[in-house]
Formats: sequence, C-alpha cells, structure tokens
Amino acid sequence: MQLTRPAPAPAGPTTGQAGPAVVVTDLRRRHGDVEAVRGISFEVHPGEVFALLGVNGAGKTSALEVLEGLAPAAGGTVRVLGADPLADRAAVRPHLGVLLQSSGLPSDLTVRETVALWAATLTAPRSVEEALAQVGLTDRAGLRVRSLSGGERRRLDLTLALLGSPRVIVLDEPTTGLDPESRRTVWTLVRQRVADGAAVVLTTHHLEEAEELADRIAVMRAGRIVLSGTAAEIAATQPATVRFTLPAGAPPLPDVPGATVVSAAPRVELHTRALQPVLVRLLAWADAHGLVLGGLQARAASLEQAFLAVADGADPS
Amino acid sequence: MTTSTAPTVTPSRLRRTLALAGAETRLLLRNRTAVVNSVLLPLLLVAGVPVAGLGGDGPLGARLAVTAVAVTLVFLTYYNLVTTYVARREELVLQRMRSGELTPVEVLLGTATPTLLVTVVQVLLVLAGTAVIGEWSAPVDVVLPLVALVGGMALMTLLAAASTSFTRTAESAQITTLPLVVLASVTSGVMVPLAAFSDQVAQVLRLTPIEPIVELARLGLAGQTWDGRAVDWAGAWAAAPQPLLVLAAWIAVAAGVASRVFVWAPRR
Repeated sequence: MQLTRPAPAPAGPTTGQAGPAVVVTDLRRRHGDVEAVRGISFEVHPGEVFALLGVNGAGKTSALEVLEGLAPAAGGTVRVLGADPLADRAAVRPHLGVLLQSSGLPSDLTVRETVALWAATLTAPRSVEEALAQVGLTDRAGLRVRSLSGGERRRLDLTLALLGSPRVIVLDEPTTGLDPESRRTVWTLVRQRVADGAAVVLTTHHLEEAEELADRIAVMRAGRIVLSGTAAEIAATQPATVRFTLPAGAPPLPDVPGATVVSAAPRVELHTRALQPVLVRLLAWADAHGLVLGGLQARAASLEQAFLAVADGADPS
Repeated sequence: MTTSTAPTVTPSRLRRTLALAGAETRLLLRNRTAVVNSVLLPLLLVAGVPVAGLGGDGPLGARLAVTAVAVTLVFLTYYNLVTTYVARREELVLQRMRSGELTPVEVLLGTATPTLLVTVVQVLLVLAGTAVIGEWSAPVDVVLPLVALVGGMALMTLLAAASTSFTRTAESAQITTLPLVVLASVTSGVMVPLAAFSDQVAQVLRLTPIEPIVELARLGLAGQTWDGRAVDWAGAWAAAPQPLLVLAAWIAVAAGVASRVFVWAPRR
C-alpha cells in the first residue's frame, strides 16, 4: 500500500482553526417510541479525533446519522463547520466525509468505475488512481465490487469517504472486518487527514483503535454519554488491581489504607486508586515478615476495564 | 471563525445526476436479459396487434401509439422503478449515495434514468413498428403527446417513489404495484373506453392519474377527444386544459406524498 499526502481540502462554510469543527449540544433522537439518543453534547476541533464508544444499541450510530445530515434531531442542535448538516446540506456536504456502519455499492460496477462515479459527484475529488493506491486496491481496480472480500469493500468505502478531502470526517466502525495490516493502513490514513487539520468523529468496538487514534473519548450507554475524557482519564475512573498469592502460614493482611480486598488469601486481589503507596505498604509488610508474594502483579486500570464497567451498568466514579 | 472567500468549483446538479445516470445505464447494459426484454416487448406489442386487433375508432397506428404510452408508463416505468428503488434501498445503495454530495432528488433521478430512457426507446420502437406494418399516421399535434410522455414519466417516477413506502422487498412489488396497474387498466380509457361509462362516471374517471396522460396522447396522436370526437390541431388544444391541469395536480400530489413517505434505508 502506498501512502501519499492528500490534496488540500476545499474552503468551506467557515474556515480557521480557532473554533470547533463539530458542535453537538443536547442532541436527542427518537426511533418511534424509543429515545435512542438522550441529550448528548460534545465538540470536536480541527486536527482532533473524537471517539464514541459503547455497546450495540448505545446510540452511537443514531447520533452519527444526525451529524451526517441523514436524520433529523428530535431535540438539541448539531453544527458542522458552523452549519446545520441537514438544513444547510449544500454548504456542509462538500466538506464532510462519511463512512457508514454498513452501506451498499452497485455490485456490477468495477472498483475503478465506483470511485470514478463518486469523484464525479464531488466538489474537490482527489485522483482516482491515487485514492485506490492509498488503500491498496490498485490491483483490484478492474474487478466488480461483488467479487471483493468484506475487508476490500470496507477499504473501498473508506476511499469514497476520504475522496473529497473532507474537513470533517465521520467514521462509523471504520475497521470492522479488516485484517490487522489493513487496519493499520486505515489508522495511518486517518492520522494523515488529522495532521492536515481534519476533525474526525469515529465509533469503534476495538478499544485499542480508540486508544491508538482518539485524542478524546466518550463512552455512551442507553443514549447518554456516561464517561468522557482522554483514554488515560477514562481508565483512571477505575481502580488499579494488585494480585498475589500468600504462602501457607502467612499472617493476616494488614489494613492498607486506600485498598479494598476483593479476594481474600491465599489468592489475594486488591483494588486501589493509589497504586504506589499501597504497593509500598504491602511490600514493606511482606519484607517485615519475610514473605514472598507469589505471582505479584500490579496493573493500572485500562480503557477496556472502564468500558466494561460502564457497559455492565456501573456508575462511573 | 471567519467567512471564507476562497472560490470552490461545485459540480452542477446536472453533472452529478448525469454521473449517476451514466453508472446506472452501464449497469442496465450489463444485464442482457433486461436489454433484450426492453427491445422485444414493444416489438411484440406491435406484432400482436394484427393478430389480436385493437378496439376503438381512428387510425390504428395512432391508437397503437397511445396504448404503448400508457402500457409502457404503467407496466415498465412504474413497476420497474418501484423494484429498482426498493432493491437499491434494501442493498443500502441509496443511503450510501445520499451520504455524499448528491442531493436526494439527484439520487432518485439518476437511479431512474435508465428506466426512463428505456421508456422513451420503447415508445419510439412502437412508433417505428407502426410505420413498418404500414399503419403510421401523422399526429395532429406533437407537443401534447410529448407533454403526456414527459409528464407521465415524472408522475410514474414520483408514484414509484411513494409506493416504496409500503413495498418491503423487490419481490413484493409484484403485489404492491397491482392497485395502480388495475386502476390504470380500468380507468385510463385505454382498455375500456370512457364512452362505455355514464357521463358522470366518465367525468370522475377523467380525474384519475393515468387518464389525463392517455387523453393528451390521444388528442395529439389520434386527434380524438376522451369521448371519441375527432378534432383538428386547434380542437386538440382547446380540449387540452383539463387533462393538463389534472396531470399537473397529480404530479404535485405525488411529489408531496413521495417527499413525506420515501424511506432511504431499510426499516430497523
């Protein structure tokens, strides 16, 4: 796969790097009687990647569809480059690149014909051949879309989303179905766009993707954002874990301030938000009693841990 | 933020629509069965007339052409567009197209273009066929049949878009398109002449969606009013205002309904 710098994005409804490219304020969306999005707010600035995480049905795609101008909001406002993506469609669309969670393409067109068709509808398309080369589809250009693998179709979809050098990019699960190499290529393409000043909003079920790409993350549950911040900030909402095995005949564990015993001897598990002082106290106690803490592990909380805690319905700290 | 003064070159609506229309036409041409059917059906219609006959008064070629306009619009344009729109919706192609710079109207028009082209080709083939079998007669007026054809294509496209709201799959279009097909067969004056009904019933039937298309085509091609009176060019235009207004009203109603009920993605 070949990576080249994309053409500059066309000027849009508003320019400059000072303000946010995307502003979502108290957004609500309904599907019949179901309130899929219940008042979420966030901003994304140029040159920033914002990730929306959540289990299936959390409301991520419903929120993105409003952002993409494909569905009306039931309440609240969405502004993309200062304009309403639905009401001011013509102003926003030339600057918006969209990768839907699932979408179709005419299956009897070839890959090259598909990209050329899309390019013919855009204000500032990049070269078809260059775009195909970026996602490693040059050698598949003459094949019909129906004969592509799932991963190749996803890369073709991404090509179309990025073909117009958009200033705002919305990616709904961009790497679903991709092999690890293709996934890294997608990450590189996204980073290039971000380096060129694009604002990216993405959803993903791959937490390592969010950690790798996103500057800020919001975790949704039942239509609401229940956690937001950097990956480190979100992970820090959960306690660190200390695990070890006590030898037979060891004295009872001392009271360690700031630690909660989750599992008692001999296979001990402690949770704490003050990992270093707890470890120091624990090791001092073991040393004083001549004990070896078998299989000692001390692990800071991870994004996955925080995500799973939220998915399980725990209230974030 | 500051307002940009940098110029951008936005592709015209026409260029965008033509790009999609070109791709859709390419897809049609790759479907050999569809291409062969498109040519064969009108030729069979022409070939069948000497065998089966065609009721009514006036020149046979003109009556054949009027029948071709109505039959093609209902059985080809309307039915094909319902199945095409539904298939594209279920394959998520419509939603994909709508996520770019193409406007909703451009997506629908571009997708419909091959069917509309085939409609025109089929009517032309029937006209050519009438000449081949020696039944060609010069039309009283050219504009009225053209308005009937273009207005009819617009109406069928909009009715097809509206009909997708109660058509879940392309296969079920065989059922969901029946009401319009039956309505057109009974009330349009093609298969059952309006003169066969009482005057009050005939006046009501003149308000149905397909009848004004047939009436305009008949005025121009055969020089006949809805009740069978022979008219010249001036008489044809004198009789044209009502069907023109009814057709325009149906187009407006269908546009309003389609814009409200058209669904771009499969229901969840």
